[in-house]
Amino acid sequence: MAESHLTFELPVERGKVREFALSVGEDNPVFFDVDAARAQGLPDIVAPPTFTVTQIWQISREQRAAQLGANLDYERVLHGEQEFVYQRLPFAGEILRGTMRISKDFTKQGKRGGEMRFVTYESRFVDVQGEDVLTAYYTLIETAKDVG
Amino acid sequence: MGTPETITMEGITPGQEFGEVVFGPLEKVDFVRYAGASGDFNPIHTDESYARRTGAPTVFAMGMLPAGYLAHAVTDWFGGPQNLRRFKVRFTTRVWPGDELVCRAHVVSIEDGIVKTTLEVHRRGSGPEGLDLPAEEMAIVAEADVELPE
Repeated sequence: MAESHLTFELPVERGKVREFALSVGEDNPVFFDVDAARAQGLPDIVAPPTFTVTQIWQISREQRAAQLGANLDYERVLHGEQEFVYQRLPFAGEILRGTMRISKDFTKQGKRGGEMRFVTYESRFVDVQGEDVLTAYYTLIETAKDVG
Repeated sequence: MGTPETITMEGITPGQEFGEVVFGPLEKVDFVRYAGASGDFNPIHTDESYARRTGAPTVFAMGMLPAGYLAHAVTDWFGGPQNLRRFKVRFTTRVWPGDELVCRAHVVSIEDGIVKTTLEVHRRGSGPEGLDLPAEEMAIVAEADVELPE
């Protein structure tokens, strides 16, 4: 597989963290209240576990296709799976640096005939010291051409 | 719920069940809020006429919205988000306006200080007009690994 990758920054901002936390119904003060977060030994409010998926939407499909390949037909694409592996959660005030690449690309026979293609984009996030924070795996499924 | 209760390894045994926790019913405005918060502006989730042109009866939720609710549930059950080490979701059906999200967890094993769980989100509701959906069905199958203090 070609070792194409793209790099990005994801600033983790208090306002965006709170907005995201509200959008998934969170009410744990560790996402909203700096004092409550610090009382738990954290440097600031933390980002909810799925927050870094926001990175995906900051890179256009076109940029992803141009820099990473895959050439998916988005008329037939579904978000199939999402995985996060955490060293820790990001906290507000830091700027994560990321590297995105295709980590898996394979086809298998669909249940209703035709080939389904699975493409996984791996985004590895590190902090300003270069230490791993988390890795996210965004898996798209391109459904078979002849199946609705 | 607020701050989750502290939980230690002593409180966990394989086979243990958590839930159900129910969120919703979801409204279309929840999809709009999530679009703004996440940056996922695919109009199939927010624009009724666009969704209809693609053949859907109405808008449906971004998968990461119920996944976000499930992350909320699991981190509340297991002492807070700082304890989460891995979270994986697989989407099995669409979630519609009016659906409730029913979240459950099952402890599979404890290995090297990590609690391994399987999770489910069911959508529960009558679904949009024009689709003959079951009143309840699996929308997300998931796994979470959690590290707890001894």
